[in-house]
Formats: sequence, C-alpha cells, structure tokens
Amino acid sequence: MSHHQTQHQHTECTSCEDAHPSRFRGGIVPTEAKPLTYEEVNTTVLAMLEPPTYRWWLFLALCLAAVAIGGVSWTRQILNGMTEAGKSHPDMWGGYITTFVFWVGIAHSGTLISAVLYLFRAHFRMPIYRLAEAMTVFAVLTAGLFPLIHLGRVWYFYWLMPYPNERAIWPNFRSPLLWDVFAVSTYLTISSTFFIIGLIPDIAVARDAAKTKFRKILYGITSLGWSGSHPQWKHYTAAYLFFAALATPLVVSVHSVVSWDFAMSIVPGWHATIFPPYFVAGAIFSGIAMVITIMVPLRKIFGLERILEPKHFDAMCKLILLTSGILTYSYGVEFYTAWFSNNEFERAQFWFRPFGEVGAAFWGMTFCNCIFPQLLWIKKLRTNIPFVFCVTILINIGMWLERFNIIVQSLSHEYIPYSWGWYNFSWVDIGIVIGSFGWFGMWMTLFVKFFPAVAITEIKEILPAPRRVAQGGNH
Amino acid sequence: MKGPKAVVGVYTFIDDALSAIELAKTSNLDYRVYSPVPHHELEEATLPGKSPVRFLTGAGAVMGCSAGFALAIWTSLDYPLRVSAKDVVSVPGFFVIGYECTILFGGIFTLLALLHFCRLPNILRKIGYDPRFSQDKFGVVIGCQTAMVDDLVARLRQTGADEIQVREGL
Repeated sequence: MSHHQTQHQHTECTSCEDAHPSRFRGGIVPTEAKPLTYEEVNTTVLAMLEPPTYRWWLFLALCLAAVAIGGVSWTRQILNGMTEAGKSHPDMWGGYITTFVFWVGIAHSGTLISAVLYLFRAHFRMPIYRLAEAMTVFAVLTAGLFPLIHLGRVWYFYWLMPYPNERAIWPNFRSPLLWDVFAVSTYLTISSTFFIIGLIPDIAVARDAAKTKFRKILYGITSLGWSGSHPQWKHYTAAYLFFAALATPLVVSVHSVVSWDFAMSIVPGWHATIFPPYFVAGAIFSGIAMVITIMVPLRKIFGLERILEPKHFDAMCKLILLTSGILTYSYGVEFYTAWFSNNEFERAQFWFRPFGEVGAAFWGMTFCNCIFPQLLWIKKLRTNIPFVFCVTILINIGMWLERFNIIVQSLSHEYIPYSWGWYNFSWVDIGIVIGSFGWFGMWMTLFVKFFPAVAITEIKEILPAPRRVAQGGNH
Repeated sequence: MKGPKAVVGVYTFIDDALSAIELAKTSNLDYRVYSPVPHHELEEATLPGKSPVRFLTGAGAVMGCSAGFALAIWTSLDYPLRVSAKDVVSVPGFFVIGYECTILFGGIFTLLALLHFCRLPNILRKIGYDPRFSQDKFGVVIGCQTAMVDDLVARLRQTGADEIQVREGL
C-alpha cells in the first residue's frame, strides 16, 4: 500500500464541510473519536439481518398470540354484532375511534422525521428515520383497521369509495368522515411509497452481501435491480426530494383532517378551532415517543450503540419537550375558551373531564404528557436512555388517555343530562386493542429481521467520502 | 454502453474515480459510474443540471388537483342534495379532496418518473457491475473498441484503480 493510500476514508473534506455546514451539525462524524467507515456501516446494519435468535421468535410468537386474540374478538363481533363491543348510547365511538386516533398519531412522526427533517437537513434523523418510516407505515396499516372494525358490517367498507353504482348515489364530499378516508389513504400511499423508495438502495446493499439463496432472491427482486449508477442516483435524489416535499404537507394535513372529524361537529369539547394544531402537535409528540420506545430495545438487541448515540436521543427529547409544551398550552386553551365562552355546556364538559366519573384519565393524561416530560429539560436525563425509555412509555399511555378524554368523555356528557351515559369496555373491545398492538408489533418484528432497519446509504452520505489526497489536493 | 468491450475500474477513493471519469470524458468514450452513495462531485462530473423528474411531479400534482375538484363537483351535481344549507357545489369542503388528490397524484407520478428514468426494474442487465459497488467501492465502467483495451487499462491504472477488469460490453 502506498503512502497516499494510508490516508483512510475519513480524511476531512473541508470544502464539503464548508459547502454543507449543516450536514455535519449533529451528524456522526465530528464528535466521534473514531468515526465509522462504509464497511463498518454495512456490517453493523446487515448484522441485524442475521438468522433470528430465540428472543426474536419469542417476541414474534407473543405478537402473533396478540393478533390471534384480536382476530377471535373481531370474529365474535362480526358474528354477534356491535353489542359485543360494549357500545351503547351516547358513546357510539368508544374505544375503537380512541385507538384509531392513537395509531394515526403514532404514524405521524415517521413522516416528520423522514420528510420534514430531510428538507431541513437535520442529520440527526439519519440513523432514526428508517425505523420511524416503518413505524409510520405499520401504524397506518393498524389505524386503517379501526374504522373498518367500527363499521360493524365491514364487508360494506367500499361504500365509502366514490364509484359508479346501481344506486346512482355518491359519498358526501362535504363530510369530514369522507375527507378522512381520502387523507388516511393518501397518507398510507405516499408514506409507503416514500418508505419503499428509501429502502431500494439499502436492499441492494443487502442483496450484494446476501449469503443464502432465499435472501439473494428476496433482495434481488425487491431491490428492482438497483445498481447505483450515476443516472440512477441523479434521478433518485431528485425524486426523493420531491417525495419529501409532497409528504411534508401531509404531516400537517392528516391529523388536521382527523381533528375535523370532531371539530366540525357541535359536541361540547370538540367544537374548537384549536383542534388541528393541537392534534398535529399531539401526533408528533406521541409518534416520537413511540420511535424511541422501539429504538431503545432494538439498539440493545442489535448492538447499534455506535449508530444510535445518546445525542440522537437528546435531539429527539428536545422535540418531545417542544411538542409537550404545545400540547400543554392547547390543554390550557381548551379550558380557557370553555370558561371565557360562558357556554354552560362547554363549561360542564371541562368540569366533567377532571372531576367526573373517570377523572383519573384526565389526571393520568396531564401527568404523562405535561408534567413528567418536563424532566427532560435536564440534559443528563435526556441522554440517560433507560430514563428516556420510561418517559416515552408514559407518553404512549398518556396519549391514549388524551384521545379517550376527547372522545369518550365528550360523548358521555353532551347537552341533555337525560342522555348522559357511559361507555362500558367489553372483552371484545379490549381484545381488539391488544390485537392491534400485536399486529403492529408483528410487522415491526418481521421488518427488522428481513430488511435494513437503519438507513445504510444515508448514514454513508454523512460520512466524508474516502479520498486518496486530503482536501486541497486533486479534489 | 457503446463499444464491444467494457473496462471496469474499481476504486476505493472518490478522487481517483473522478480522475477516471475525466479520462473517459477527454477520450470521448461512453462511461458509467457506480457508487455506494450519491455524491455531489460525482453528479457534477457526470450529469450536471436538473433531473426531469420534476416535470412529471408537477404534471401529476396539477392533474390530481383538477381530478379531486372535478370528482367532488361532478358527483355533487350528479346527485344534487343540499346538506346543512350549504351549496350543492360547496367549494370550501372540496378543498380537502383537491388537496389530498394533488399530493396523491404528484406522488404516483413521481414514482412512475423514478422508475422510468432509473430504468427500474432492471434485475438482470447491469453492465460492468460489481457487488462491491454497493458496499464501499466506486466503479467506473468505460465502453471501448477491442483495439483500445490495453491502452485504456494502462491509463486507468494510472488513475489509481485498485483493480481493473475487462468484460464484454454492448
């Protein structure tokens, strides 16, 4: 090896750094004593695709058991009708729509991390975004089941689609529920496409390193024959940018449209103009929490400590702090407008939430979403990964409770005291919620074992390209 | 790739690969570059300028917006039913449909543009490709006539190639 060749890959490229200062801010390179090489990135990430251990099988079995519980529960509901779900007047939306909004919210941060942070060149997203995107796609798949389950007669779901039919009628395009069908299906299509497009070059890496025939065929087909030629990269990077630009408005629109399912009605506690930003902030908050909840065990199990560093958790915790602040403000505004409006029904609703029959749900939400995350102002705690994991678990619980407060509490306590009622959880309802977690967990578990769960190519992109001559030479 | 032979240079360093590209350009030979990552210097050396993907994205978005509004307006007129004292064609409510369809069609057209311009799927035909090019090596494949092969191999060696292979071109 010549003298020049001893200059390894990480000879600093100062002009690159000058030209793209943001690339290096929060990236992997400058703060590492010994930065990664291309080869190390390959081996670290591809090691996740090694044959599964008994722990993986155990977790998959748990998920499948949960899916089975959900499947049995849904079958029971289909056979016996919606009474199995514990629904009764006035709480006809109950747990299903609570869980639907919960999963749509979880789905939110994937696009934030992958698209919005991509446009802002926030390079701390690189090791995180693939998992966040996978989480988005699988969470939307999970969320999409709930309106179908909630329909009761699921086999008529296609009536929501605008298609010529013998009845000569069309869906009502002025209805927020139909907007939701368009918003969620568009979100699913675009986020899945964005996710799959991002995967293609990494699947090609896995294809070229595959050892078994099954993997060679699997990755050979799913990489679509990607070669990384210069015309491919040219059009790929352009298309990826446009996908990010197209997906970014969806970050705002999807949960805004979901919030209109409520805000367009006149139910006390729902009819508020703050709902869209409030829902969007809450969705980002819960989504980031779920990303961390998933990342922490994966980091440990697959030995990703050099890729998922404490500073990445630190950056995400700052987003949690920001969105927790917006959420806390929104909760306050809801109470303030109820008081300031002098509308007795609104006031009664917002008295009922903390001091009614299920006030514990309100206080649980407040503790988990507003109070406890404030500890993340302390940097030492933001980089303490077990602590961050605990915070995110509480946030997941808190955000489910938030949707419960909005939906169940509001419907239980509308205008006429005569029609007040309560929602009774049934085993079928709980079984389906358990099944949804199993369904989501099953897809995530399969994904991390069969496809690169950390973006190989994009991590390589933020490493300085290997050069024979240091910058200022023949560069 | 023009020429019956393809000379493949395998490079560890990007600056060496750039020298090989320069060599192919000055010799007026057809070439293809493979790299494990996109890099702005490689792009500037090979295909400067903007990708045409953007025209299809724009066309899809405009088509989606028109289709979304047209669907909502036409179906409302086809079955005119006044709801909650709103106009039969109540445009504010249709903005959501138009907006979502803009993004949906823009995305689908971008995908089609990507597949078209990247020539995907293309599972079997990759001239001069080496599995190392997706891992940590850069590849410069230059098409040439059979008589030029020896000279080209020697010149590529001078650019610092780790390895040079001669394959059949097309």
